[in-house]
Amino acid sequence: MSAERWKEDEALLESLRKGSPGAIDELLRQYQGKIFNLAMSILKNESDAEEAAQDVFMTVIRKADTFQGNSAFYSWMYRICVNTCLMRLRGKRRTETVSLEEFMPVFTDEGMHASPMDDWSKEVERNALNEELGRMIRMYTEELSEKYRVVFVLSDVEGLSNEETAKILGLTVPAVKSRLHRARLYLREQLSRYLREGKAG
Amino acid sequence: MLADYFDGSMDPQLREELDAHLALCEPCLVFTKTYQAVSDKARRLRRQIEYEIPLDVRDRLETFVRAAALKYPEKLDEYREQVQRERREMVAGLVKAAIACRLSPVMALLVKTHCSACPECKEYFDGLPKASDPGPGDPPDLIHSHMIRLLQSLPPGEEFFLA
Repeated sequence: MSAERWKEDEALLESLRKGSPGAIDELLRQYQGKIFNLAMSILKNESDAEEAAQDVFMTVIRKADTFQGNSAFYSWMYRICVNTCLMRLRGKRRTETVSLEEFMPVFTDEGMHASPMDDWSKEVERNALNEELGRMIRMYTEELSEKYRVVFVLSDVEGLSNEETAKILGLTVPAVKSRLHRARLYLREQLSRYLREGKAG
Repeated sequence: MLADYFDGSMDPQLREELDAHLALCEPCLVFTKTYQAVSDKARRLRRQIEYEIPLDVRDRLETFVRAAALKYPEKLDEYREQVQRERREMVAGLVKAAIACRLSPVMALLVKTHCSACPECKEYFDGLPKASDPGPGDPPDLIHSHMIRLLQSLPPGEEFFLA
């Protein structure tokens, strides 16, 4: 997140506290896409995500006056969003998520990688693959359980720093890194299989 | 951990050893390249990966927000009272859960850590009556404010009590 974004948010928040409704409208319009996306990535369906987004905005509106500013506004709002969505998941029957274990790297007795290693790192730089690759990453990300998925979305997709992600999720930085690492291992393995199959087919 | 290698936080000696290994080991080199490609592509393909908000959802959200925004000035006092009331209720719930020994593990740890550094809160929590006694009144302001901070530091999705 840029420093300009931060400053703009603070200015809008100030106007909001002085009672300006236009500021609320402006502030939330900036973030509705992000909040919907974050909610979707956790809840995985549109109607839940829409309801959650409304809850998030309502909470932000109610509490904007008492927000103390010891974090960036968007950080605070993302945290509210994650909390709203995770609370919604409680008591809902969870869809199956994969166990990561079978996607971790496997080594031979000599300590070498046991699975074939195709280097696809260069070929995915072709722009023609972007749509497909984006879809595949999204699909595999959905298969992760929330604790890995949210970290991956915030850190690697949205580009927040480990520190920011840690703050939003109430985790330590090492915990963020560890979950991020496992999410990446899973995605790397899935993408490798997918791209290898594409060649063979 | 490989993530440390790429974000520059790996121990320099370890980094050197890893570099030396990668110079000689093709499969490991490919592994690190493809590992890095995952986060690179995730960042670059953000637009393709993100769930785009459908127009009708966006319109409904905008309508919702606009309506709430217009009412904001007249509702401000009500919101403030609501937040205060919610906080009192949360603190009361926390105290009740502590008395009944039904704090969630995360909350119990937060309380314990805090009390080891805060004599007032330690005294308060240690002095809580047993479950059978009549409940205490609202805690003093200082302790109340500390409890609010503790509750706010609960990780998202966590409850402070055991179900």
